Amino acid sequence: MKKNLCVCLAIVLGVLCALPMAVQAQEKVIRIGAMYPMTGRAGLYGIDSVAAAEMAVDEINGKGGANGYKIDITFTDSKAKPAYAVRVATRYITEDQVHFLFGIVSSGVGLAVTEISKQQKKIFIGTDHASTQLTSDKLQPYYFRVANNTFQSMAAGALYLQELQKSKPWKTIAYIGPDYAYGHDQWNELRFSLDRLGVKYQVVGEYWPKLFEPDYNSYVTSLVKDNPDILVTGFWGGDTVAFIKQAQVYGLFKKSLYFQPDAGGNYELMSAMGAELPAGLVLGARHYNNWPDTELNRKFVADFHKRTGRYPTYAAEGAYAGVYAIAEAVKIVGNPDDTEALVKALEGLKIKLPEDPDGFTSYIDPATHQIMQVQAIGVTMPNTDFPPAKMMLGDWKIYKAEDIAPPPGYPNK
Amino acid sequence: MTNLATRNLKAASLWAFIVLIFVLVPVLSTSSYQVNLACHVLIWSLFAVSFNMLWGVTGMLSLGQALYYGLGAYSVGLMVDHLGRQWYLPAMGLGVLAAAALALLLGLLVIRVGGVYFTMLTLAFAQLGWQITFKWYDFTGGDDGIQGIIPPGILESGTVYYYFVLAVVMLSIWVLKRMAFSPFGLVLRCVQQNPDRVRFLGRRVRRNQLRVYVISSLFSALAGSLMAGVDGSIHTDMLFWTTSGEVILMSVLGGINQFFGPFVGATVIILIEDLVGARTEYWSLIIGIIIMVIVLVFPKGVVGEAMRAKSLLTRTGAGR
Repeated sequence: MKKNLCVCLAIVLGVLCALPMAVQAQEKVIRIGAMYPMTGRAGLYGIDSVAAAEMAVDEINGKGGANGYKIDITFTDSKAKPAYAVRVATRYITEDQVHFLFGIVSSGVGLAVTEISKQQKKIFIGTDHASTQLTSDKLQPYYFRVANNTFQSMAAGALYLQELQKSKPWKTIAYIGPDYAYGHDQWNELRFSLDRLGVKYQVVGEYWPKLFEPDYNSYVTSLVKDNPDILVTGFWGGDTVAFIKQAQVYGLFKKSLYFQPDAGGNYELMSAMGAELPAGLVLGARHYNNWPDTELNRKFVADFHKRTGRYPTYAAEGAYAGVYAIAEAVKIVGNPDDTEALVKALEGLKIKLPEDPDGFTSYIDPATHQIMQVQAIGVTMPNTDFPPAKMMLGDWKIYKAEDIAPPPGYPNK
Repeated sequence: MTNLATRNLKAASLWAFIVLIFVLVPVLSTSSYQVNLACHVLIWSLFAVSFNMLWGVTGMLSLGQALYYGLGAYSVGLMVDHLGRQWYLPAMGLGVLAAAALALLLGLLVIRVGGVYFTMLTLAFAQLGWQITFKWYDFTGGDDGIQGIIPPGILESGTVYYYFVLAVVMLSIWVLKRMAFSPFGLVLRCVQQNPDRVRFLGRRVRRNQLRVYVISSLFSALAGSLMAGVDGSIHTDMLFWTTSGEVILMSVLGGINQFFGPFVGATVIILIEDLVGARTEYWSLIIGIIIMVIVLVFPKGVVGEAMRAKSLLTRTGAGR
């Protein structure tokens, strides 16, 4: 009797153990391990990215998945800390057996995670961090980025300033940006592009407040004294809002043209400032809710609004693009397991995204693994289509992807 | 005599048990992640235990040990980055020596003051080190950190590196434990409890404080240099004050009056961070609540309370 019971138990145990394996073997799943900051100052970038990525996953799975494979995406708060994100990435790869690493807002964290991706030979799709290094001197075979880097934004900015010089001659320029890699990179890259275009200018001031600086008064008074024709800023998020609010009081924007081509045009600024946002600021971002006026972009913005009750900030479209890029690559290869074939498929992948105007399709440059996209820069003007914003961008200037790419060998040349 | 022998045997078997658990991790683990996690636990434990030599044993609360932890990591990172992988092990030694030299220099300044002033000064120097590392892009890589730090030769394999870390950490902790229970350790405890009496007994307070400051900093740097090879990348966060704060938290959680308290604290915090962080973004809330409960309900920390419970139980067993 006892013996029988033991045999029965053994069989039951064996079946129980084998069951999940059998289920897993039949399941066709693409596993994505995503990391975003969900708390702190960069939290909104993470929360919007997560919502948009989930939206893309639902859309793709709703249509039967990619080549029959359903997407399963997991999110973890990266805490915007490199050491922690590296641990999460290692767990994703070795425990959860993900096929792709995904996301990351801060470039410092991105650089740490790309190292793990290289060591473990696991594809890492970067969606929002902008440091040019990741697709130039720190590029490794398994890294791809589906959002603009700072070089592309600043090159578009340089073209804008070159054109402006013809219609409204300007001579002097000043810069203020956060004192870390992102702030310094933007200023170096803008001057690099201006010099490359042969634009003549005189720098009258450079200021480096710390990141998340609450009080810009001393900087603003210095800038008023410098009186530059063009005031370039390299802030992001709440810092942009704080600076504009404080500088407006001093009438800084009446004399100097406010110019922020990388993150200034983020919808976050428009929704935070409402009617307080001055008209005539020249701003750029990686995605706009009101440009391009295509079916795909209108649908993306409307669906996001329906899902979350708010309009997306630019990070959202980056995450959305990342999920679609993965789905397209899996469709080409036929499965998510052949990493080397997926790398080949992603190199040169063409993909129509919400931020593509008619007649253009985003593509990944095989040499740099950087997505190539059209960049638009606009000017703030009244527009109440996307509440709570009272001002949106308009009067667009559009720059072709090929004209704003870093030259081969940048930044070592 | 037999009593002492039994006690020694007991202590040795406890050691053997702890080492055995860590030795078995790569064998029993189902993925290399668990080995990686165990590596983190070991290194943070060394950092926390060496910090606690300063605080728990001698009563000097430093909020700047991250300076030495970062120094160890950056000496490895910079030398591997600039000179090549073969410099990995020499860089570890150099980092430890540099930390000892720096601690000696700064120690002469910071131990002149006591209490909260000592804490503030250590914090100030550590933040200075962080600022320099953060801003000196051409040399330190600034806030981008340094990537691609791969240990040389056979250490490149994760498992071999794990055993290397295990050996270094266990050896270091054993040395620190010997020190904590040596006559020198007794003097340090006296310094914490009654510095005047130490002077009356003919011992120098400041010299002993300086000694333990240098020793603690040296082992913190060793922990940092080991960490550089675990993930292959280092970052200025390692020098930031929150890193110093983290070891304080670990020590409090484990119990600062127990030698192994910080070891247990480090293990618990890393595991909680990992388990909670994987499931929710409200990780800081959970850790906050746990710390609050520990501080309010178990003020002696995990190990301290366990010891008290044990002594209560044995007393009952003795028929009291």
